[in-house]
Amino acid sequence: MSLLRYTLRRFAQAIPVLIGIVTITFFLANQIPGDPVEIMLGPTPGQEQVEAIRAQYGLDRPLYQRYLSYLTSVATGDLGLSIYYDRPVLEMIMLRLPVTLLLMLSAFAFAIVTAIPLGVISAKRRNEPADHISRIISLIGVSTPSFWIGLVLIIVFAFYLGWFPARGLVLPWADPTDVRGAATQIEVIRQSAHHLFLPMIGLGTLQMAQITRIERSSMVDSLQGEYVKLARAYGVPESTIVRKHAFQVAQLPVITIIGLGLSTALGGAVLTETVFGIQGMGRLIITAIQNQDYQLIMGTTLVFGFVYVIGVIITDIMYGYLDPRVTYGDE
Amino acid sequence: MTEPLLSVRDLKTQFFTEDGTVRAVDGISFDVYEGEIVGLVGESGAGKSVATSSILRLVDSPGEIVGGEIEFKGETIFGLEEDDAGELRPRDEMLSESEMRERIRGREIAIIFQDPMESLNPVFTVGGQLREFIEINRDLGADEAKEEAIDMLREVGIPAPESRYDEYPHQFSGGMRQRVLIAMALACEPDLIIADEPTTALDVTVEGEILEMVTELQEKYDTSFIWVTHDMSVVAEICDRVNVMYLGEIIEQAEVDDLFYDTKHPYTSALLDSMPRPDRTVDELRPIQGVMPEAINPPAGCRFHSRCPEAREVCREVHPELRDLSEEGEPVHTAACVKHDAFDVGYDESRSIETQATGGFSAGLTETGGEAE
Repeated sequence: MSLLRYTLRRFAQAIPVLIGIVTITFFLANQIPGDPVEIMLGPTPGQEQVEAIRAQYGLDRPLYQRYLSYLTSVATGDLGLSIYYDRPVLEMIMLRLPVTLLLMLSAFAFAIVTAIPLGVISAKRRNEPADHISRIISLIGVSTPSFWIGLVLIIVFAFYLGWFPARGLVLPWADPTDVRGAATQIEVIRQSAHHLFLPMIGLGTLQMAQITRIERSSMVDSLQGEYVKLARAYGVPESTIVRKHAFQVAQLPVITIIGLGLSTALGGAVLTETVFGIQGMGRLIITAIQNQDYQLIMGTTLVFGFVYVIGVIITDIMYGYLDPRVTYGDE
Repeated sequence: MTEPLLSVRDLKTQFFTEDGTVRAVDGISFDVYEGEIVGLVGESGAGKSVATSSILRLVDSPGEIVGGEIEFKGETIFGLEEDDAGELRPRDEMLSESEMRERIRGREIAIIFQDPMESLNPVFTVGGQLREFIEINRDLGADEAKEEAIDMLREVGIPAPESRYDEYPHQFSGGMRQRVLIAMALACEPDLIIADEPTTALDVTVEGEILEMVTELQEKYDTSFIWVTHDMSVVAEICDRVNVMYLGEIIEQAEVDDLFYDTKHPYTSALLDSMPRPDRTVDELRPIQGVMPEAINPPAGCRFHSRCPEAREVCREVHPELRDLSEEGEPVHTAACVKHDAFDVGYDESRSIETQATGGFSAGLTETGGEAE
C-alpha cells in the first residue's frame, strides 16, 4: 500500500520536472542561430513563401505565445508538427523510440548480466588473478568511448570475421513479410538478435565496467560486515553468505549506479546508433538539430527527459523495495 | 575433577602484516568447565577477541593460528604435530573446515558479538535471521524453527515477539538487538557461548538488565560462557572464574572472589584501581599509566614492566610464566609476576626502575593524584 502511494507520489513529483524540461528545451531550441524556414526553402526563397510557411507553423507569433501554446499542446499529448518532415512529431517518435529502448534495454541487460557475477567474483577473490582480470576489463571499459568500441567491433566482427552484420537493425516484432530472408516470426527474432549483438556490446560496455566496479567494492564492504562474521560464526555455508547475506546488502549502491547510467546510456545511444546506422531516437535528434526542426528537437528532448525521469523513479522504487530502512515518507 | 568442556593450551595466533608479525595471542592456556562463566579480561588490544575467534577458527587473514591446541568435548579444533621432516602440520584428528562449520560453529559453540547495531543484517527481518540459524544448527524445518525463534525472542524479554518477528533490525533499539543476538546464541542450543563484549555498546541500565537476564538464562539452560570484557564490574557481576590478559598473554587466573580480594598481579590491581568500586572509598580513580605497547615488538622481560608501579630491574630481564600461587587446599590461583616468592629470581634484591607508573616522563603529571585511600 505505502509502496503504491509512494510510486504515485513520485510520478506526481515528476510533473514539475517535465514542465522544467519543456521550458528549457523550448527556449534553448529557439536560441539556436539560423532559421528552419530558410533551411527548408533553400538559399533564395520568395518573401511570400517564407511568410506562408511561418504562418503555417505558428512561427510568426511572439515567443511567449508560442511557448504557452506549446505547453498546453504538450499537456494534451500533442508534440506538434515537424517543420522539416511535415509529419506529427509524436508519430515519428513512436516509430523510433522502440528501437532505442530495445537497444538500451539489451545493453543494460548485457551490462548487468556480465557485471554482477564479475564484480562478485572479483570481491570474493580479492587481489587474486580473477580480480586483476576483472579490474583490467572494467578499466578498459570505463576509459574507452562507446563509438570507438563500436567501430572496433564493426571492423573485427563484421568486416574481418563476418560474424555479425555491420549496419542496421531488425525489430523482433517486425512482420516476417517485411524482413528479407525470414519466413517466420522466430527467424525475425533471430535476425534481430544477430543485428543487435554488436550495438548492444558497444553501448553496454561502459555500463558493464561501471557496474562491475561498484559491485566489487560494494561486495567487498559487505563481505567484511559484522553480519557476515555472524553468519560464518553460526555455520552458514560460504556460498549462502555470498549469495544471500552479503549480496543483497551490496546491491543498494549498484542500483543507484544503474539508474544514473541511464542518462549516459541515452547519450551513448545517439553515438552508437550513428556508428551502426540504426534508425533510432539518436539519429532523429541529430537530423532534427541539423535541420533546426524546433518541434522535433523539443519533442525528442522531452521524450529523453521523460525516459530519464522514469528511470530515476524506478531506481527509487527498487531501492525502497530492497532496503527496508528506506521509508516512504508517510510515517 | 571432571574433564573441561573447552581446553585451550598454549594458543598462539599471529598476524603477518607489512610492519612485522603481530603476536596478538601469545601462548595462552585456559579451561572452561560445564555450566560456568569464564571471564576474559583486559584492555583493548590485549588479544581477547582474537583469542575467541581462534576458538571458532575464524581468524581473518592476515591472521593465523600458529601454535597450541584447542580441544572441545574430546574433539580437536586445533592441533599441530611435526611430520618426519620436522615441519608442522595439522594433526589428522583436527576437524576440517567443513566439520567446523557443520558441527561446531553455532551448533556447539555460539558467539555474541560486541556491536548489536552492526551484527544483524539490515535487509532481512530479525525473525528470518534467527530462523535461518536455528534451521541450520538444529536441523529443524522452517515452521518449527519459526516457532522456536518466537519462543526464544519471548525468552530474552522481547515484548510481542510474534509481531516483532517480522520487523527489521533498524526497528529495534540497541538493547533489543543485543537481546536478539543472545536469543540467536541460545536458540542454537550450544554447549558454549562466547560473549565478545556484548554489553560494551549499551548504556549502563540496559547493560544491567541484560547481565541479569543472561545470569538467569545461563542457570536455566546450563550453558557455559566465555565472557570477554574490559569492564571489571561486569566480571564481578557474572563471572565464576577469570583470566586477565595483557598483550597477548594471560597474566592472572583465579576464581572471581580471589581475583578481587587477593589480587596477585600488579596489572590486575591496576585494572581494579581504575574502576569505581562500591566496596572501597577512594578520592580519585587511578588510571593505568601509559599505553599498552605494540604486540609487534613486545617489551622484553615482563610485558607489563613499562607501566608497572612495582617494576624492578629483574622485571626487565625475566619473562615470568604463570605459576600457581595458591595455598594448600585453596582453589588454583595463578599469576605471572616475579614479585611473588614462588618465582625466586631475586626480585627483593633488585633495584626499582623508573617506569611510566613510578615516575619517568610523566612524573610531574601524576604526583598529586597518586595518594588514594
